[in-house]
Amino acid sequence: MSVEAPERPRRELFPTDEEYRDHLGSRRRKAVGFKFFCLGMLSIAVLALATLLYTIVNDSFGLVAVVNENDPGAIVAGLGHDPEVTGLQEVTYEELVGLLEANVSSGVGRRLEREQRFYEDRLVFEDEATWAEICASDDPPTGCNAAPRDHNNVYALVQERVVVTDVIASYQLVPSIFSPDRFEAEVAEGFEAGRFPDHDLDRVTYEWRAWFNPTFVTTPQNATPEVAGIRTAVLGSLWLVVVTVLFAVPVGVGAAIYLVEYARPNRFNDFVQTNINNLAGVPSIIYGMLGLAIFVRVLEPLTSGAIFTDGVPPSDNGRTVIAAGLTLGLLTLPVVIISSQEALKAVPDSLRHAGLALGATRWQTVRSQILPVALPGILTGTILAIARAIGETAPLILVGASGFITADPTGPFSKFTALPIQIFQWTARPQEEFHNIAAAASIALLLLLLTLNAVAVILRNRYSRRAE
Amino acid sequence: MTNDTSTGSTTGKTADESADGRMTMESGPRTESRIQADDAPGVIETKEMSVYYGDFLAVSRVSLDFGRNQISALIGPSGCGKTTVLRSLNRMNDLVATARTEGEVHYHGQNIYADGVDPVEVRRTIGMVFQKPNPFPKSIFDNISWGAKINGFRGSKSEMEDLVQQALEAAALWDEVKDKLADSGYSLSGGQQQRLCIARAIATQPDVILMDEPCSALDPIATLRIEELMLELKENYSMIIVTHNMQQAARVSDKTAFFNVKLNESGMRTGRLVEYSPTEQLFTSPTEKDTEDYITGRFG
Repeated sequence: MSVEAPERPRRELFPTDEEYRDHLGSRRRKAVGFKFFCLGMLSIAVLALATLLYTIVNDSFGLVAVVNENDPGAIVAGLGHDPEVTGLQEVTYEELVGLLEANVSSGVGRRLEREQRFYEDRLVFEDEATWAEICASDDPPTGCNAAPRDHNNVYALVQERVVVTDVIASYQLVPSIFSPDRFEAEVAEGFEAGRFPDHDLDRVTYEWRAWFNPTFVTTPQNATPEVAGIRTAVLGSLWLVVVTVLFAVPVGVGAAIYLVEYARPNRFNDFVQTNINNLAGVPSIIYGMLGLAIFVRVLEPLTSGAIFTDGVPPSDNGRTVIAAGLTLGLLTLPVVIISSQEALKAVPDSLRHAGLALGATRWQTVRSQILPVALPGILTGTILAIARAIGETAPLILVGASGFITADPTGPFSKFTALPIQIFQWTARPQEEFHNIAAAASIALLLLLLTLNAVAVILRNRYSRRAE
Repeated sequence: MTNDTSTGSTTGKTADESADGRMTMESGPRTESRIQADDAPGVIETKEMSVYYGDFLAVSRVSLDFGRNQISALIGPSGCGKTTVLRSLNRMNDLVATARTEGEVHYHGQNIYADGVDPVEVRRTIGMVFQKPNPFPKSIFDNISWGAKINGFRGSKSEMEDLVQQALEAAALWDEVKDKLADSGYSLSGGQQQRLCIARAIATQPDVILMDEPCSALDPIATLRIEELMLELKENYSMIIVTHNMQQAARVSDKTAFFNVKLNESGMRTGRLVEYSPTEQLFTSPTEKDTEDYITGRFG
């Protein structure tokens, strides 16, 4: 572009055309440079996320070296099936129970039956008279009331007690795909070095194992990593979410409505607002200490359920689902309040005026005109807050999540464990296999988060469509 | 006057059934009191009304008397307090945290700023249309039915449909929207949205409608439609409008109040009522020099 410019005032203070063009070139280079800088930052973020996923998946799947005390094929053959056609998992429920009966000591059998019986109508290890007696006692075992075991449950018992599968070494996913021979060599070296004194190299088989599998999700906690599952932890986490949502959402949204729609700016309200903003930044372990002091100790009669029953409380102390859920609720409350406030403030005042000018009360206006418009925003903030709560570990440790628990949580007054607690404890173990199931539990935690988020996003879209 | 026809099923309800607040005012304006008050001076009367925002005196000592079934216009330069005066007439100024009103505003002889008067009830009988069209993000039907519902409308579904149709007809919008009542209020054009807002205000059976520069966001054709509509609505409602457009005031209003800004001794720019007279007189032979300067375009 070269146009003869007419005289302008203060022309001499601007660059000449030539200088301008040079300058433009350097501006353009800077702009391109900045664009690539931002792209680079994005790549770092994506790379970090990819690495995280890679680590988790890498540990959750892969080759394992297994020693079976009893060969499953031989067991199936012993039952009269063709091991080529029928796997151990496919034999009937009665046959599985029969295998247990034949291979487990009567003491262990009675213990298993007291935990959960095998048949509704008959007993396998216990005799009827003793059973009736222990069920009539003050402290009856869980088997007296619980539903009988199912096929998967008994199959897991057979694996644990009859086949006695022992995973002696595991290998990560990527090396398992690209250099499976190295794994076998490493196991052989281990035998030479005398690291597996109880086992015989000839009996070692190699198989693929998905540590994250349906059985893993539906089996309760166990001291042996090969048969341990996360059922208790998943249920515990779900119960926590329920209590947290029931506490944090009504309280948080109600407080936000008051602060935005009713509170007039004065010293007290400014003070409250400032403190809410500060609470959002308080470390979660502090909330854990608060939860321990208030919910577990001071409110023990409430959180153990003692005040709701005349006799034996549902829990002998306050380390229950409700204490932990309320703690997580307090933790998420500031974020729920702040994001709800932002969503309400984003609703234009013209709508409030329109409602009030029609002779509506404040509440009618808020209820029918403001909340529907603000709801998608409120839900988004709440989802983020709850997602954070699901992954919290520190406050749960303080409030007293159980480290090892096999009974499902059945209500707000149950003892509980949660997925992040389980992951934390398994990661702290020295055995390789615990790290595998910790990684598998991480996948479960991520999937749980994803599911809850998806539900919330669907809800949000439904409401925002209705508001249009 | 057509008010004797307005005591039908939907309008016979008095205001004390409607709002959930206390009721201390006399019975609803659309019933007996209105018929009796035919020769009363006006529908709303301000007495020495001053409005403060914090320490700032926005308008000082305004005494005005707005006529029944008339359109009264408030004009004046920016910052003269005409919108403040308008919003004080149905206590919408209460929404400004720092606002404070002195003096009295009488509606049918009752001071609406007296203790125990619920602003919710005031606003039901003195409706308002705003500068920018502000329909609810709901269907056209719901936009209109909501005001009636929250005020305790007891009619059946078909009676509600009749009410919506009447309101839309009164706002000259029915023919344009009768086939798309379920569509969002936002799907309409700016002028249609403003008429929807007028229909919405009408549907709660008000007595007075306040309009705050109702045409300033509209094009000339939409403006003309609203002005025609105002002249039709005059039959049944008293209207008070704020406008920047002097031609509009001249075209539609019966009486016009001119406000001006005066610097007072402490340097505050306070609005004052300069002149209030029948519109024709104000525009042809103003008594005040300020008014003449303003309407002839010498300032403002």
